[in-house]
Amino acid sequence: MSLIITAFAQGIEKSGIKPAEVCVPSDIPFEPDVVKQLGIDYFHTIRGRAIVFGTGLKLANLALKVVPVVGDLMTLGGNHFVHASRRNMELLVICVNNFIYKKIGGKSIPSTSPVFSLYSTFEEPFNIPHLGNSCGAIYTARWTALHTDEIAISIAEALNKRGLSVIEILAPGPDYYTGINNINSDLVKFYHENSEIKNNEDPRNVGITPEENIVVGKFTDKERPTFIDVYNAQLSKVIGDKFTPYGPVQTSRSGAGLGTGQNESGGKNG
Amino acid sequence: MKANPKDVLTGVHYIDGDVASGYGILAAGCKFVAGYPITPSTETAETFARVAPKGNAMFIQMEDELASISAVIGASFAGVKSMTITSGPGYSLMMDAIGFGAMLESPFVLLNIQRGGPSTGAPTKTGQADMMQSRWGSHGDYEIIAISPDSPQELFDYTIKAFNLAEMYRCPVMIMSDECVGHMTEKVVIPPAEEIELEPRRLYDGPPSEYLPFKPDDDFIPKMAKAGAGYNLYISGHVHDERGYPVINEKFKSVYLRRLVDKIRRNKEKIIELKEEYTDDAEVIVVSYGISSRVAVRGIEKARKKGIKIGNLRLVTVWPFPDEKIINLAKTTKAFVVPEINHGQIAFEVERCCHGKANVVLVPHSGAGVHNPDDIYDAIVLAAKEKKKIEGIVEYKTKLEKLVFEGDYKLKE
Repeated sequence: MSLIITAFAQGIEKSGIKPAEVCVPSDIPFEPDVVKQLGIDYFHTIRGRAIVFGTGLKLANLALKVVPVVGDLMTLGGNHFVHASRRNMELLVICVNNFIYKKIGGKSIPSTSPVFSLYSTFEEPFNIPHLGNSCGAIYTARWTALHTDEIAISIAEALNKRGLSVIEILAPGPDYYTGINNINSDLVKFYHENSEIKNNEDPRNVGITPEENIVVGKFTDKERPTFIDVYNAQLSKVIGDKFTPYGPVQTSRSGAGLGTGQNESGGKNG
Repeated sequence: MKANPKDVLTGVHYIDGDVASGYGILAAGCKFVAGYPITPSTETAETFARVAPKGNAMFIQMEDELASISAVIGASFAGVKSMTITSGPGYSLMMDAIGFGAMLESPFVLLNIQRGGPSTGAPTKTGQADMMQSRWGSHGDYEIIAISPDSPQELFDYTIKAFNLAEMYRCPVMIMSDECVGHMTEKVVIPPAEEIELEPRRLYDGPPSEYLPFKPDDDFIPKMAKAGAGYNLYISGHVHDERGYPVINEKFKSVYLRRLVDKIRRNKEKIIELKEEYTDDAEVIVVSYGISSRVAVRGIEKARKKGIKIGNLRLVTVWPFPDEKIINLAKTTKAFVVPEINHGQIAFEVERCCHGKANVVLVPHSGAGVHNPDDIYDAIVLAAKEKKKIEGIVEYKTKLEKLVFEGDYKLKE
């Protein structure tokens, strides 16, 4: 996780965005020190709801950069990911995939590849970049935790894109599961050594299988109107002049943001 | 702070409760509603969705109720007043996040237009069976505020009040209405904006480096800061210290949880709103809320005409429960009659507060309809005649049940 956090910090720096404007809703507990060092706002949400919590943050203040960092993206939050991609909500979803539920003893998850569990899983794992891409995400990428430079570049690129981006990061769980899984090396190295960079590969071909190398790279980078773009266009068409487009508001310490008429001003429209 | 004239549809309207609440949401200064459609609450969402774009507010139909309520809590932390609207099954789905909202001390409002349950139940018909769920639905200890309006006018008025309470006490506030009130069409008078008082967000205004998101003021309530404004927030559903950092031990659990419940309990007198008539020297007092209080009026008037000294206590605020009020009334009255559209929820709270000093008669109803006022009248007469103290709750057998059942459970041919 520390590798990813470092890459995340570098990514924010590269993107030119102020860390104070970055909000991270996450169902993975971050260390307070990390959040302090990063200078971001952090929300430890209930399981699976980081993306929708982030949707609320974003829609209430369009100036925010919202980066849901999720562990097991595809169970409790799976439907939210699908819909956020479909809406092209302006979020950068970072999925830290360590193939297991680390905190509860290494249970397999829906994105577990068959090789990584005691009796091998027999369920087909999710191909996250493909799912995101097919639902309408505008940016998809996958890296292992050791591809720190690539992760940082991807984060910087995605933060400056308008729409839903998803970056899957393959990260090691604790070492003691390597024994169970008969992997005789440091997992993080194992991922890295067994990966192959194929930028612009068709996301349909990047599923993780035990037989082949893990395909990493940037797979999707396209443009599509965001939720707010479509919302404003449609309502302007229907309501006409009476409609004021729902738009970004400057952030400032006293707080701004949509719908924020500050206390003192007595209502934002006033 | 006054309401914004642009958000207030001042005038006399002839609308149903759901629509009235939709207008109330906008008038309250709420700028974000996320919901998933569910009968019989849909009209509120529709109303708000119609007026929101003109008030620079956002309505979004999410993929489910789990998403809706989490988005509402997110928006709340971004600094806007936010709300969700639902009914029975959707309400059940929201429970996880309601506890999360209570733990984070997130101000938001939830409107539950109650329908018949359990499960899918009777979607288009009324019910009042989510009252205990509103208090105890999420896991863990927390306190909540719940209001139960009984008319479209009140759905407008108390929607605004719910937002004010949420901001004042930094907690989720439930409006526990029901299908009957939601779909009841009556005159609703919307006052001019300058007559609508709104509670602004209590924002921290000191130096960001010194901000402690969970450091309480004298009234137990901490000040908030907006996300993305440089306060380096750390907000977690874990037990946390004043900085928001997780501290999971006995001492902090005690420090934090105590305040979480005390901020409501110790402000009870300020929060609770009741409507009372002739309770001082009453021999029987009807305790009711929501649509049941409207139905009870006829039974009460009939009993009064027959010379029974009958009092009327309407719970506008259901949670926190007005313990002290019932404790005091139990000293002077003979019995309480509690009509509610369930098989005993608030009646047990009344009985708890009586401490055996007065009898408690429950007039139950299975839902999909409202009480026959004659049942309430008969229960009042029964309670007035009873000379003994009866332990536990007396369940009144309604005319409908007598009509349907022979003996206890056998269906009549």
